[in-house]
Amino acid sequence: MAFMDDRLGQSRDFFQNTEMVLDLRNRPMRSDEISALYTRLYQKSMVRVVEVRLSDHLSFSMAGEPKKSRAAVEADGESNDCVPVIVRNTCRSGVRVVSSSDCVVLGDVNPGAEIIAEGDVIIFGNLRGVAHAGARGDQSARIWALSFEPNQIRIADLVAVPPRGAKPARGRFEIAEIRDGVIQVVSL
Amino acid sequence: MAGKTIVVTSGKGGVGKTTTVANLGTTLAKKKYNVVLLDTDIGLRNLDVVMGLENRIVYNIVDVIEGKCRKEQAMIRDRKLSNLCMIPAAQTREKNSITEEQMKELCSSLAAEFDYVIIDCPAGIEQGFKNAIAGADTALVVTTPEVSAIRDADRVIGLLEAALVRQISLIINRLNAKMVKKGDMMSTNDIIALLSVPLLGVVPESEEVVVSTNRGVPLVHDRSSKAGAAFRGMAARLNGESIPLDGDSRGFFGRMKRLIWD
Ligand SMILES: Nc1ncnc2c1ncn2[C@@H]1O[C@H](COP(=O)(O)OP(=O)(O)O)[C@@H](O)[C@H]1O
Ligand SMILES: [Mg+2]
Repeated sequence: MAFMDDRLGQSRDFFQNTEMVLDLRNRPMRSDEISALYTRLYQKSMVRVVEVRLSDHLSFSMAGEPKKSRAAVEADGESNDCVPVIVRNTCRSGVRVVSSSDCVVLGDVNPGAEIIAEGDVIIFGNLRGVAHAGARGDQSARIWALSFEPNQIRIADLVAVPPRGAKPARGRFEIAEIRDGVIQVVSL
Repeated sequence: MAGKTIVVTSGKGGVGKTTTVANLGTTLAKKKYNVVLLDTDIGLRNLDVVMGLENRIVYNIVDVIEGKCRKEQAMIRDRKLSNLCMIPAAQTREKNSITEEQMKELCSSLAAEFDYVIIDCPAGIEQGFKNAIAGADTALVVTTPEVSAIRDADRVIGLLEAALVRQISLIINRLNAKMVKKGDMMSTNDIIALLSVPLLGVVPESEEVVVSTNRGVPLVHDRSSKAGAAFRGMAARLNGESIPLDGDSRGFFGRMKRLIWD
């Protein structure tokens, strides 16, 4: 980090206002490290990390400027780590995605995969694995999916498993949220 | 032109990888292609048993990689087909006695001489698995219609995608049509909807498989066998022939058309 600060200081003008793809295929990083890097790059040199590449087939888009992110609007001066994570793949068994804000999945979440977000989890596909919204305790967080057949869903500190034999309502979005102190799933 | 290198993998053990390698290899050899089968299940060698070649082994894959013999010396010719041979795994060595780089090299040198290199992969997702897939350009993922096998297949497909194996297709083994009808077993459709990879073929549950394994004669030699016909269909599809997926006619194949191997 310190090394990077130094280099950025020297070459400020070169990087000024550019966009960047962070390639982590050979060096895995935790999501909070990515967030820190993102924020640092932006503050120092207005460099925007637009995409994070974890492997050749798994990449996250980083959407929006950190300035405009929700935390910054709600509580000025708060850390800017509220960039939604977008996954453009089916999440297969063994995949774990952690987001310090919302998480959007463009594909299915299969059994054995876990999506954990401090904000909402939005899945344009089937949810068959585990989804945890409001992982830091936000009770107003929701889980959205085109079809719910999860192993388990969690919102804040509540856990729910689908009732045996429950059939998903196909072809429409369903939403899981906390109502009256329990997790409920409703169709749109 | 270099041949195809195909790895047969599954994650879970005992789902039919070795059976698949033996039968697809035999079928392709019967079609006059030059085929080599590579057993990478080091420590749990058994492709030689299924092929009925156990008592001819002198050298094995680790000997080839360590340069103790030339690869031609380790190749055992099939009893019936002269254009089919196999390189056995080492029974008394560790899985880490070979590296991914060495496997890549071996596979490409074999692909230069043969039309098909078919690799039998060990169970699991550790080093043995990584070695087996290292030199492959195509992967066949075998699963049975059981939830645990499907979960492992899903994991393996994720790892194959991450390892940039370009062509991945699915083989469903040991399907019991009666049980699917009763709703006691996942159907082909359910499995494909979950795994979302193209289907190469479906093999029914059959006692003939066990008998042929014990006799050391691949099932596809038997013209009347239903399971053998399933393997022949898959080999043809693998070879680019457009053979419809039949097997059992319960009408769900229409919807799967777009997923079939092309
Ligand atoms: N379609 C089938 N019907 C019945 N038995 C099968 C079928 N396919 C495989 N088997 C049996 O299952 C066992 C494991 O098969 P094998 O090919 O050795 O699996 P793997 O190589 O994945 O461990 C063998 O005893 C084999 O005879
Ligand atoms: Mg085996």
